[in-house]
Amino acid sequence: MASPASPPLARHFGRRARFAAVLAVLGPGIVSGFADNDAGGITTYSLAGARFGYDLLWVLLGTQVALFVTQEIGARMGLATGQGLTGLVRERFGVRWAAFAALTMIAANLGSTVSEFAGIGAALSLFGVPAPISALVAAVAVITLISGGSFSRVQYVFVGIGVIVSAAYIGSAILAQPDWPRAATSLFIPHGTLNGAYMLAVVGTVGTTITPWGQGFIQAYVVDKRLRAENLGAERFDVLIGALIANVIGVFVIVACAATLWASGQRDIADAAAAAVALGPLAGPTASTLFAIGLLAASLLGLGVVPLASAYTACEAFGWEQGVGWHWREAPAFYGLLAFFIGFAALFMLIPGLPLIEVMFSAQVINGLLLPVILVFVMLLAGDRRVMGDLVSGPINLALGWIVTGVLVVMSAVLVITSFAG
Amino acid sequence: MIYLSQVIGRPVRDQNGDAIGTVADLIVAVGERYPPVTGLVIANERRQIFLPWSSVAGLDTAGAQLSTSRLDITKFRQRPNEILLKADLLDKQIVDIDGRRVVRVNDVSLDVVEGSLHLVAVDVGAAGLLRRLGIERPYRTLARNLRLPLRERFIDWEDVDPLETSIAAVKLRVPHAGLAELHPADLASIIDQLTPKDRAGVLASLDDEHVADAMEEMEPDTQVEVLEDLRPERAADILEEMSPDDAADLVADLSEATREEILALMEREEAAEVQELLAYPEESAGGIMTTEYIAVPATLSAAQAIDRLRELEPDAETIYYVYVVGDEERLVGVLSLRDLIVAKPDTPISQVMIDEPITVRVLDDQDHVAGVIARYNLLAVPVVDDAGHLEGIVTVDDAIDAVAPAAGRRRLARGLAR
Repeated sequence: MASPASPPLARHFGRRARFAAVLAVLGPGIVSGFADNDAGGITTYSLAGARFGYDLLWVLLGTQVALFVTQEIGARMGLATGQGLTGLVRERFGVRWAAFAALTMIAANLGSTVSEFAGIGAALSLFGVPAPISALVAAVAVITLISGGSFSRVQYVFVGIGVIVSAAYIGSAILAQPDWPRAATSLFIPHGTLNGAYMLAVVGTVGTTITPWGQGFIQAYVVDKRLRAENLGAERFDVLIGALIANVIGVFVIVACAATLWASGQRDIADAAAAAVALGPLAGPTASTLFAIGLLAASLLGLGVVPLASAYTACEAFGWEQGVGWHWREAPAFYGLLAFFIGFAALFMLIPGLPLIEVMFSAQVINGLLLPVILVFVMLLAGDRRVMGDLVSGPINLALGWIVTGVLVVMSAVLVITSFAG
Repeated sequence: MIYLSQVIGRPVRDQNGDAIGTVADLIVAVGERYPPVTGLVIANERRQIFLPWSSVAGLDTAGAQLSTSRLDITKFRQRPNEILLKADLLDKQIVDIDGRRVVRVNDVSLDVVEGSLHLVAVDVGAAGLLRRLGIERPYRTLARNLRLPLRERFIDWEDVDPLETSIAAVKLRVPHAGLAELHPADLASIIDQLTPKDRAGVLASLDDEHVADAMEEMEPDTQVEVLEDLRPERAADILEEMSPDDAADLVADLSEATREEILALMEREEAAEVQELLAYPEESAGGIMTTEYIAVPATLSAAQAIDRLRELEPDAETIYYVYVVGDEERLVGVLSLRDLIVAKPDTPISQVMIDEPITVRVLDDQDHVAGVIARYNLLAVPVVDDAGHLEGIVTVDDAIDAVAPAAGRRRLARGLAR
């Protein structure tokens, strides 16, 4: 019999080719980072860039830090426990809190899913595709992809779409011929006049990047990918890359709109598709097309990830089989939820005259209300050694996490108060 | 029968009928088929008070009635075989041995068995979930009128395997006896669903042979994951228990450093067999063959051969074929078990054996091997080297696995580089 002192074999994997080991772990942070810029994100950045020019770029740098901190904790919790967020909430705080978190998240995510469809519809209508057709095709494509029973295929497609989003926005920003020095200084030094509209834009920009579903998603995805404690180092790198990607895309969207719409005085646009159209005469048809393709790809990725996050969350809370590696028959609740989510949101899209920008905004308000609750749960769990074992967050991480939570609580309060007051 | 959720939070009254607190938890002693309730935890303002069950006169949905008016305010100490129903079981994950899956506990049902209250079953159905959320009754009314189904699902405690990580308060060694009785394929499927921590606990409680059998049923990725979580010595012990061809396939998937470390820890004979198999390309006859077969010298009589069969290798993969070898292990014939049994005891086996049996070469492609097995309706085909020496056999199940690995399997290739 072996002596209890000898470590498990997995320890020896430091010796394995480092690069391959890191590559195998990559995914949750990157996909989550790409998906943070979904239809709602692109819309928010477009409006911010058109309205305030380069002034809000510094917010993205701050969001970068906050996103890394919260996502790192989410990934760490997945690695430490092998369970999703709502499962842990249920074990530590009871079934009612878990049900509350799952059901509110579902309500907010349903709104977000509708806005993903809105983004797809708006982007494709620029290419002459009618909204009902684009909604139908997108819904079928996403359900087919996710229910295919292959985790790696899903991940490849997600990352591929994310790359398209990045390339499209970097391309359209460069074509817009922005004032790069000004963009650079605005990124590091806060600019702008402090008024109500500015504050609301700051809160909206942060709120569209750090979301309850993003928090639920990374943890569930780490578990579904079956990463383990010894992957922590590589997974943190993955999360860092993901946070960088999320904000790089945001920066380029803002820069593209600032250099064109804001610079030429077209400061009030309705949504991201309108920004794409307005870009045409200012930066050329290629920039306009790239912008629309970016919106389409970002919305598609959101349409894959948001319902997935919702299904993970509900199944964790209520104890149903879940995961992209299962087949329909083995995890009926999981796939049923996914199909319901996508189908329901697609039907919503078909309501004539539905005020989509209001739906998107309502979803953001519910997300804003929910985020503080979710983050407090996350922080309480992350500091609990009984839950986290050896992977419990260190004092610096915990302090940073609580600071981020505090700031976001204040911001959410601002968002909610102004939306009700306004 | 009462549910745990129906008594938690209800008042606790002493002998005089005065309310002294609320029911916080129940304690049961595990080990018996239906664990008896041995204690009550009372929440009294900010304290938690422990009472042995002998001081409790009755417990129902109205609350608990004590048979004493004196409270001994000793701090609760959990004994090693005790679990707290609310803290350790409710909302936690368990293994449903009968259903072969991991589920979450929605409620716990208790009943009076032979005069005392026992834990009887866990509720994992939708009804239990609704009860916990406090909307069971309205939903039932609604469901009755709309004729909606309401799924009730209980798991008898006998079929429940609690998982260690949930039981935070104690280091309860769960014996996992129920898991050990499962078919290896079912055990493999459950191990696949467990969180890493729970997996470690389950693997620690099972003996090497059970783990080895389950390992043979797992997907290659899961095999590697499971093996990596073990200490090298245990991993080597388990590989020794696996059939050499499965062990070799698994070892081939490990990193070089790990492979060498494990092989060094294995018994010399088993390690040599694995190493020999590792030398062949993965998709060749040599790569999928096993070295556990039965070979007897051509000089034996039928009776001697049967005796040899009894003393040799009871764990050979198939005993329906007995291979006959001449000098230097050169394959000269094959006997079916039937030929051997119906032959007169003193007949030399060289007279009843089939000469020049159908063989495949070690470097033949696995598809060719499967084709040969299918064409001649064999249960196994011998694998020989260029000089005709018997090196191993490929059994029909390994041939099927080799050509149709994904058929009916659940988890396909996972992750980017895996």
